[in-house]
Amino acid sequence: MKKRAISLLLLSFLGLVDTLYLGIKRGTPVPCSITTGCEEVLNSSFSTLAGIPISWFGFAFYLAVFSAAAFSVFSDEDRLLKWIFWPALAAFVISIGLVAVQAFILRAYCQYCLVSAILTTLIFFGSPRPGLRRMAQET
Amino acid sequence: MPKSKTTPFLVIIVGVLVAGGFAMYLSRQGSTSAGPTEGGSAAAQTGHVRGAPDAMISLVEYGDYQCPTCGLYHPILKELLNRYPGKFKLQYHHFPLVQMHSNAMGAALAAEAAADQGKFWEMHDLLFDRQREWGDLRQPHPNAEAVFVQYALQIGLDSNKFMQSMRSPATRDRVLADVTRGNAVVKGTPTFILDGQVVPNLPPIEWFVDYIERRLATSAQSGK
Repeated sequence: MKKRAISLLLLSFLGLVDTLYLGIKRGTPVPCSITTGCEEVLNSSFSTLAGIPISWFGFAFYLAVFSAAAFSVFSDEDRLLKWIFWPALAAFVISIGLVAVQAFILRAYCQYCLVSAILTTLIFFGSPRPGLRRMAQET
Repeated sequence: MPKSKTTPFLVIIVGVLVAGGFAMYLSRQGSTSAGPTEGGSAAAQTGHVRGAPDAMISLVEYGDYQCPTCGLYHPILKELLNRYPGKFKLQYHHFPLVQMHSNAMGAALAAEAAADQGKFWEMHDLLFDRQREWGDLRQPHPNAEAVFVQYALQIGLDSNKFMQSMRSPATRDRVLADVTRGNAVVKGTPTFILDGQVVPNLPPIEWFVDYIERRLATSAQSGK
């Protein structure tokens, strides 16, 4: 569990940097050095939910993972980390949807959003599965 | 070794603060990056000029009227022109990203058609100020041309002449000439060329102000 928690701690830290960067740059030009179309994506109607930028929802998710991983690593408290699977699953599904929006509707890619999608995917596959947890308890 | 219960809380607070610091550092990269890079002088010719033609500092923009970043820079550039009258000029070139922006070429043609009646900058301002009205990506305006004609009427253009100009091959050639000129240097829109050198990243207004102030200071010192 320890290695897994450290991995999640690092991944979610990168997610915090990514989403905070987008939060800070909101409303100002965002340089797009790898892809083209950051502004198209970040200013599209898909970039907000109920008036709140999606990056802030991402921030909340990464903060939750970071907190759960921090408790696991630094106080051997694994209960929170075991619950991370479900928000990670939701974030993974939402990320797939957002990448599809970039590919098929906006036809523009934002590198920061793609980085977040990759991080979310890694966090999802790295988070403890509820089934595995039961198996571990039984053995 | 027993672990303190407060340690995770400290880690979370420090983690968020460090992440915020990194994000802040990255967001300021544009303003702290090195100066402009060589290579833009050939692409920085002609174009529509705003500001005193003999202004010491010249900024060339390759822009797309439907590009949101260009729209964000529009008020920034106007602010610089207002702040440094006679010292700073803007040269605008078209670079419509037609594969991404369905109405960008039409908008560039509208600006050129307005130029035929001496009102390029009036149309330029309207196109950027109302970009969302005609340029929404998800719902490309079914008849953007009709919107451009409305804008032409608003700024006092002869609508028949405007339409003729918009549909004229010569107008399209002017836009395409800009694109050809910019091809060697433009990687995306907007691309800025400041005093003949390509500006890296997309710097905030403070970066431009800093550059202009340093140029003016240097000029004042050498003039003494």
